Amino acid sequence: MLGTFKSLLTTVKLALKPPVTAEYPSVEPTLAPRFMAHPVLTWDKDVPEPYCTGCLVCMRICPTDCIDVAMMDNPKHAEGDSSRRKIVDYFDLNVADCIMCGLCVEYCNFDAIIMSDNFDASQYARPNLVFDLEQLLEAGKEQEAKGRWSPPEAKKSQRRAAAQGGGTAAAADAPASSEDRVAAARAKAAELRAQRAAERAAQGEGDKDAE
Amino acid sequence: MSLLDLITIAIVVFVLFNGILTAVLGVIYAERKALARLQQRVGPSRTGPFGLLQTAADAIKLMLKEDVRPGSVNLVIFYVAPLLIFTPIFMLWMVLPFGPDWVLSDLDIGLLYIIAILGLSVVGHVLAGWASNNKYALLGSARNAAQLISYELPLVFAVLAVGLLAQTATDRPFSLSGIVEAQGSVPYLLIMPLGFILFIVGALAETARIPFDIPHAEEEIVGGAFVEYSGIRWGVFFLTEYAGLATMAFLATILFLGGWSGPFSDEYTFLQPFYLFVKIAAIILIVFWIRAPLPRLRIDQLMAFAWKIAIPASLVNLLLVATVVWVQHQNGWEPWLTSVTISAVSIVLAVATGIYIQRRREQRLRQFRQRWAQ
Repeated sequence: MLGTFKSLLTTVKLALKPPVTAEYPSVEPTLAPRFMAHPVLTWDKDVPEPYCTGCLVCMRICPTDCIDVAMMDNPKHAEGDSSRRKIVDYFDLNVADCIMCGLCVEYCNFDAIIMSDNFDASQYARPNLVFDLEQLLEAGKEQEAKGRWSPPEAKKSQRRAAAQGGGTAAAADAPASSEDRVAAARAKAAELRAQRAAERAAQGEGDKDAE
Repeated sequence: MSLLDLITIAIVVFVLFNGILTAVLGVIYAERKALARLQQRVGPSRTGPFGLLQTAADAIKLMLKEDVRPGSVNLVIFYVAPLLIFTPIFMLWMVLPFGPDWVLSDLDIGLLYIIAILGLSVVGHVLAGWASNNKYALLGSARNAAQLISYELPLVFAVLAVGLLAQTATDRPFSLSGIVEAQGSVPYLLIMPLGFILFIVGALAETARIPFDIPHAEEEIVGGAFVEYSGIRWGVFFLTEYAGLATMAFLATILFLGGWSGPFSDEYTFLQPFYLFVKIAAIILIVFWIRAPLPRLRIDQLMAFAWKIAIPASLVNLLLVATVVWVQHQNGWEPWLTSVTISAVSIVLAVATGIYIQRRREQRLRQFRQRWAQ
């Protein structure tokens, strides 16, 4: 009896809230900032060529075997235009098999593959779901245009040069060896522990946690 | 009866019939929209502006659909049943007054006519269930018959109480327009809240709306009496349901909400249809609102509510009205005293009954938990 009236009241409260319906084709959905659809490949505008060297790391780590890559000698390197000795020959991504786990992105050594937000990558025929290198690079350029990815500010060699030249001051306060780093971490942990013990003692729980 | 009369009647009936069909389209659209908002959805929004043409599109689809008929049905009854269901609902509109003089036939016994015709549509349901040669259809029609018989009693008692009360103010207490005139500026909703609630509950059961949609029960008996129907015949069943809802809302407006009367309705007669429409729409919206949160009752709960609560309550309501009207006759009370007495006593009774039901439920719940705790 009372529950009936309560449920009626609940319904009215719900009616006052905005609808949760996503009117998808007419209204673009708002995706979460880190939404992950299938991966795409990035494009190095400076050379220009893909970042991908075809090193096969993504193909090996992929849990569903949806990536098929091959490496080749980079013709631009022979001409002296590019610092990449090897470059990707072909790159096939079977989106039907992809589970959007992002492992390929995690393991890529060259920042060459990123997760896109192409949630509507559906096709009318199943073979069309295998995206080739060109399609993936195009999609990567779109992602860059959307601001979901930006190229690294400097290449590794340039960063190394900068560190050797002007960055010595910053390198000075970093501990020299790995043993030093471990010692510093231990010291910091001990400090934290002491601080926490002091807090507990202040709250009157010191004897319980002393052991 | 001259030829002109016949032509006039034909035109009026044609207009009324198509009016009902259009009203049903509107009611279905309103239900889908209102229900959607109550459930945080948007409802139909693609066909036409705001999805306004959705129900029209559905109706066209139903008409164009193939009329599939199982081989084992009883042919004549199968085809006659939808008409038998729809005709009584249409017949009710013959006596429903849209205004002081806007009525096809202002019967002096309009109330009795309505009570008599209301029970007819169950015949169509039973015939449809029987002729379909389908166990689910038969179960649905049997449930429908049981439900209609159980809930006709509180409904009729509530309506009778209205007639009794109207007798104090008009000499045509069983005519629908007479009842509206008798209510004047104080609708019977304020005088007989108990009767109004009983009428709405009875109307929900009569039209098999949630929470009384046991005869349809899609999850158990896949739609009830019209499982085997398709296309336009199924559409007639659907149409009848919503026409029944509109009719019941119309009746509730006439009997309990003062019909077309409202502020300044006597001076400005153009306001009368407006008031009527607003009141009917309000009642229909309340029915949608009741539909949104409530689940379907079990058949034993339905019967228990009818025989343990609704019928005793409606009898008490009838007795109360009869007693007070009699006392008024004997002692020459003022009409307002009658109204206040009935209103106060029925509110007290309704609250007491509600508290009693709640206590009983809590008690049973405690017993149940104790039994399972051991």
